[in-house]
Amino acid sequence: MNWDIARKNFYRQGMRAFLNVLVTALSIIALIFMLSLLNGFQAQSTRNLVTTDIAGGHYRAPGFDILAPTEWEDHTLKVPGKLLQLPTTDKVEVLVQQGQLYPNRRLYPVQIRGISMDQTLLSLPLDNLKNFDQKIEDVIPAVVGVKMARKALLKKGDLLTLKWRDKSGAVDARDILIVDVGDMINPRVDDGVVWLRLDHLRSMTDRENEVSWVAVRNYIGAVDSFDFQPVEHLMADLLALFNQDRRNSKILWSILMILVCTSVFNTQVLNIFKRQKEIGTLMALGMDSNRIVRIFTLEGTLAAIWALVIAAILGIPFFIWYQGVGFDVTHLSEATFPVRETIYPDYQALEIFYSLAIVFVLMVLAAWLPVRKITRLDPTLALRGRAIT
Amino acid sequence: MSLKKIFPGFAGILILFSISVVSSRAEELDAQKLLEQVDENLWADTKFISGRLIIDNGRKVRILTQDSWMEGVTRSYSHYKSPPREKGTKMLKIGGKLWMYTPRTDRKILIAGHLLRQSMMGSDLSYEDMMEDHKLSRAYAASLEGYEDMEGTRVAVLHLVAHDKKTTYQTRKAWINPENKTVLKEERFAKSGKKLKSILFKDYEKIEGRMFPRTMIFKDLLKENTQTTYKFDVIEFNVKIPARYFSQSILKR
Repeated sequence: MNWDIARKNFYRQGMRAFLNVLVTALSIIALIFMLSLLNGFQAQSTRNLVTTDIAGGHYRAPGFDILAPTEWEDHTLKVPGKLLQLPTTDKVEVLVQQGQLYPNRRLYPVQIRGISMDQTLLSLPLDNLKNFDQKIEDVIPAVVGVKMARKALLKKGDLLTLKWRDKSGAVDARDILIVDVGDMINPRVDDGVVWLRLDHLRSMTDRENEVSWVAVRNYIGAVDSFDFQPVEHLMADLLALFNQDRRNSKILWSILMILVCTSVFNTQVLNIFKRQKEIGTLMALGMDSNRIVRIFTLEGTLAAIWALVIAAILGIPFFIWYQGVGFDVTHLSEATFPVRETIYPDYQALEIFYSLAIVFVLMVLAAWLPVRKITRLDPTLALRGRAIT
Repeated sequence: MSLKKIFPGFAGILILFSISVVSSRAEELDAQKLLEQVDENLWADTKFISGRLIIDNGRKVRILTQDSWMEGVTRSYSHYKSPPREKGTKMLKIGGKLWMYTPRTDRKILIAGHLLRQSMMGSDLSYEDMMEDHKLSRAYAASLEGYEDMEGTRVAVLHLVAHDKKTTYQTRKAWINPENKTVLKEERFAKSGKKLKSILFKDYEKIEGRMFPRTMIFKDLLKENTQTTYKFDVIEFNVKIPARYFSQSILKR
C-alpha cells in the first residue's frame, strides 16, 4: 500500500524526479570510475615494480640507499650462504655502482646495475646481454632502456666509454657496446641505468661475489648482516602518493555526495511545501503521520533505486569501453612513475558494493530528514495549505 | 779489402754503437731520482699563488680568479675573488678532507669520500685532482720509457705505476726535461690503460730559484672540446701563512 502510493507520487514528480535520479547516477559513475582508476594505477605500478625490480622484497646491504648514489660503493657485501642456497628462480643478485657514461663525448652520470644472468624472477629485456659471447677483454656488453637511449642519444651497436671506480677507489674506464635498447616497463630501471652482467661488473670493480641487494620471491627469515626490506617499504613513496590520492578522491566524492543529497533534500522540502493539502487530507482521513513520513521517504528511496539502475545502464557500457581505451598517463611515465603510457581501471566488486551502499543510505537519509516535520503538522492548517509558510 | 765489403760491417758497428749509447743514456738516467727532483722543484714548504682558472666547456668560457695559500702537500686554503657568482667562495683542504664555503648559502660543506670525484665548479678537474696531496715520487714507481723531442727540447718519458692500489690513477706518464727537472706534460690513465686526462705545463719561469710553470692546461680526454687552464699570475714560495687560514673558522663571510 505504502509502496504503491510512493511509486505513484514519485512518477508524478516527472522531470524533477528524473533530474534527481540522473545527477545521482552520474555521481555514482564518477565515484566508481575514480576509485577504479586509482586501483588500476596502483595495481599497474605495483605489478611493474614487482616484476622488474623489487620482486617479493630485497635483502639489502645495511645502509644501502638507492637515493644516495655517492654511497653505493660503500654498501656492498658478499652474498651470504642462506641466500646463495636459494634457486635462481627465487632470487636475483644485483650490484649497483656509480658510473659516468660518455655518449658523444659528453658526460652522463649513470647507475651501473649488474644483474645475475641466470635469474628468472624478474622480467627484464636482457636476453642480448645474456647471449653476448664476446669476452669482457674485448668490449663490455651493456643494455639500456628506451628512455635512457632517447635521453642519451644511444642506439643498439653504439660503442662508448664508461668510467667507474674499483673497490679500492682506483679509476677505471673501458668501452662498452650497447647490445640492445630494451623496452623497460618501469622507468626506475630505465632512466639513467646501464645494465651489465653481474659477473662483468664484479670483475670490473674487484667485488667478487658482492651484491648491493638480493631480490627474493618470498621472505626467508632474517639473514646475517643483511636487512630485509619488504615490498611495502620499497614502494613506500608510491604508496604514500596513492594514499594521498585516495584522500583527495574522498574529498571530491564528498563534494559530489553533498550536491546529490542537497538535491534530494531540496526536492523533498519542495514536495512537502507543494503537497501540504495532500498531507492534510491524508491526515484528515485518519492516516498516521509516521506512515506519511514513510511514504515520502519511500519516494526518496525510489529515487535512489532508479539512480542505481540508470548508473548501471549508462555506466556499464562506459566502463567496458574505457577498459579498452585506457587512460593516457604518458606524462607520469616521463616523471619516473612505474606505469606505462596507458593505465586501465581496476573494478573491485566489494569496493563498488560498499560505495553504492553508502550512496543509497545517504540518499535515503537525505529523503527522510526533511519529511520528519510532517509529524508536527497541524492537519487543519495543512488542509488549507498554511501549515508551512 | 774493398770498401763495399767493409761498409756493411762498419754500418752495423755504428748502429750497434748508437743503440748502446742511447740505452746507456737511458740507463744512466735514474727515473725515480728524476721524479724526486721534479717534486723537489715544484713543492715548497709554503706557497702563495694568485691565479685564474679559465674553464672552457666548449660552449662557454668562465674565468675564476683565486688566491691560494699552500703548506706542504696536505694543507691549502683558496679564496675565490670573481666572478660575482663565485666571489667569496672558500675552500679549505686539510689532509684528506675538503671544506667548501659559499657566501650565498652562508654554509660550509664537507666534500669528502665520493663527492671528491665530482667536477670542481664545472671544470675538467675533480676536487680530488685539485687537492692531490702526495708527491708523485712517493706515490709512484717511475721507469724510463725513452726520450722524445718536445718543442725542440729532448725530454725523458717516464712511466709511473702507483705503489698503492687505492691511488686514483694507477698509471701516469710524465714528459720531463732532465736538464732543468721540469714536467712539460703529464697523462693520467685508467686501470685499463685508457687515457683519461692530460696536463700541459707551460711558460716556465725561474721564481725564487725554482722553475715553475705559469700555465697548466688540464683536459678531460673523455669529453669533447673542454679544457681548464690554470694561470698563475703571482707565485711566492716560503711565505708566512697566518695559522687562521688553515682553521675552519676562516670559512665564513
